Amino acid sequence: MATSAPTPHAGDDNATDDDVVSLLMRQHGDIRNLFDEVESATGDERRDAFRRLVRLLAVHETAEEEVVHPFARRNLPGGDQVVDERLAEEREAKEVLASLEEADPDSPDFAERLRALRTAVQEHARAEERYEFTHIRRSGDAGRLAAMARGVKAAEAMAPTRPHPGVESGTANVLLGPLAALMDRTRDAVRSAMGG
Amino acid sequence: MTFNPLEQRGIPLDRQVRSWRELDVAPIDPDHCDPYTRCRIITMNGIEVEAILFSHQLARHTADPEIKRQLARVRYVEAQQQKVVNWLLPGVSSVLETTIAYEQVAVDLTAWVARMEPDPYLKQAYQFGVLEDFDHLYRYANLYEMIEHRKAESIVDGLTEVMPGRPTRFHHRDPVDNVRDPYAKDATNPLSKLHALTIMSAEQQTMNFYMNTGPTYMEPIARRLYQEIGLIEEEHVTHYESLVDPGETWWEQLVNHEYNECYLYYSFMEQESDPKVRAIWELHLNMELEHLHAACDLMRRHDGRDPAEVLAPELPNVLTFEPNKAYVRELLATQIDLTTLGAGYVREAHERFEAMQARLHGDEAPPSDQVMAEHQDMFDREYRLETEGEHPDPALREK
Repeated sequence: MATSAPTPHAGDDNATDDDVVSLLMRQHGDIRNLFDEVESATGDERRDAFRRLVRLLAVHETAEEEVVHPFARRNLPGGDQVVDERLAEEREAKEVLASLEEADPDSPDFAERLRALRTAVQEHARAEERYEFTHIRRSGDAGRLAAMARGVKAAEAMAPTRPHPGVESGTANVLLGPLAALMDRTRDAVRSAMGG
Repeated sequence: MTFNPLEQRGIPLDRQVRSWRELDVAPIDPDHCDPYTRCRIITMNGIEVEAILFSHQLARHTADPEIKRQLARVRYVEAQQQKVVNWLLPGVSSVLETTIAYEQVAVDLTAWVARMEPDPYLKQAYQFGVLEDFDHLYRYANLYEMIEHRKAESIVDGLTEVMPGRPTRFHHRDPVDNVRDPYAKDATNPLSKLHALTIMSAEQQTMNFYMNTGPTYMEPIARRLYQEIGLIEEEHVTHYESLVDPGETWWEQLVNHEYNECYLYYSFMEQESDPKVRAIWELHLNMELEHLHAACDLMRRHDGRDPAEVLAPELPNVLTFEPNKAYVRELLATQIDLTTLGAGYVREAHERFEAMQARLHGDEAPPSDQVMAEHQDMFDREYRLETEGEHPDPALREK
């Protein structure tokens, strides 16, 4: 089937990325594309795609926690409630994610749980776009949106999002240990990019 | 096919109103559904919206309060049907995703109707239109990748190709050239009436959808593209509605509407792959059969004619959602440079066409060209899905 080359990840296309909302919306699409990739692959390729998905999710959510939610809390009417609802969704998604850690990526059980995760992530992403991003665009000036975009881009740089030539074995340890460290590093990178 | 809606009875009208629980349907999964299930949902929504709007117009032209009450009774059920059908679409889909599905409907529904249409003049009208919907799909697909970083193939799933059709900038004709000649109600094949009503309803719904959802976008290029294609939908509704014989009485039109709803619910019930959605098509068919009988009674009473005179003796071959790639490619190779002149078609850009083009475009590129330029800047390529080889028109191959 002749289709165009793969869509690059947000930050790797030629967009000016001076608007945090556009950037995050494209990243939501990247996450969805990775879910497609995990679903259609098998064996080691699926493991590799899944690992990239987990990393992108971790980096993306960390960036949102550092950049988007604090802004929403401070600047949106009813911002506290909106953000609390998003954080609750994120916690729920993280639990499903953790439960996938032990599963064999080729088992039917994995596919079922992956689908539940995908649904939760997608609902969360659309809720952010509708209840948070729209207001951020309305209340943030161009300079502020650009500064937040810089923070998100710094976070992105922490997630290797392309397939690896050599595939590591198993998903053990990719999640909790290294993932927590990755989230810490992401947090530091975002703070430093946004001026501490 | 032996199914004759005139001889079947359905659910009695006084038992058709549904409770909140029954109206609360589970939406389809946008990432795993059969794309043609989504196409059938979008089509039936357009059909129900037309049923409701037509009934309102009829009520506004009716003096007899008893008839108004009867129309209101059936129309309330139709409004519930519309709610159930359209609420099968998931809340997690974006407007642009749904838009791409609308264009997939426009391509595969219109192409199928063009293939099956017995009347050559009507067939030409559908062939002409489908190449424009095909190009809209391509433009929106490029916008979709820019805004959401998703490829349209995640929606159309390789069943419909995505590549240039008749370039959108050339769809803007002088409005008078959008008016076609109508079929003759007493001479035409009854199937032709169903086709015209179906395509008109689908295009009308697309027009309504774009005119209302376009301004919900904040991205300037998205707002402008919806404006441009929304105006072409206005042209398409003009094009298709003028195919219908205006000499049909109100009651005859009502019968045609109800008969067409039976035809489409029956068709979709026969093909549906999703069992929960299939159950809805079956339930609605059983409701529509009684709406049809009520409409037939009104026609007998007010026109003094038997509806069987204007309807097919039995239901035509089921209307089918299926790939039409070879057919569309043949049209791309032969009809891409057509435009309309009066109620006919020509290949040269005539004076009235040129004047409209100059007035509208001025000296700037229309949004449908700008979206391609912006996509090119962002990705150094355009988005296409050519599953059957390169574009049939050498001039429209990707450079």
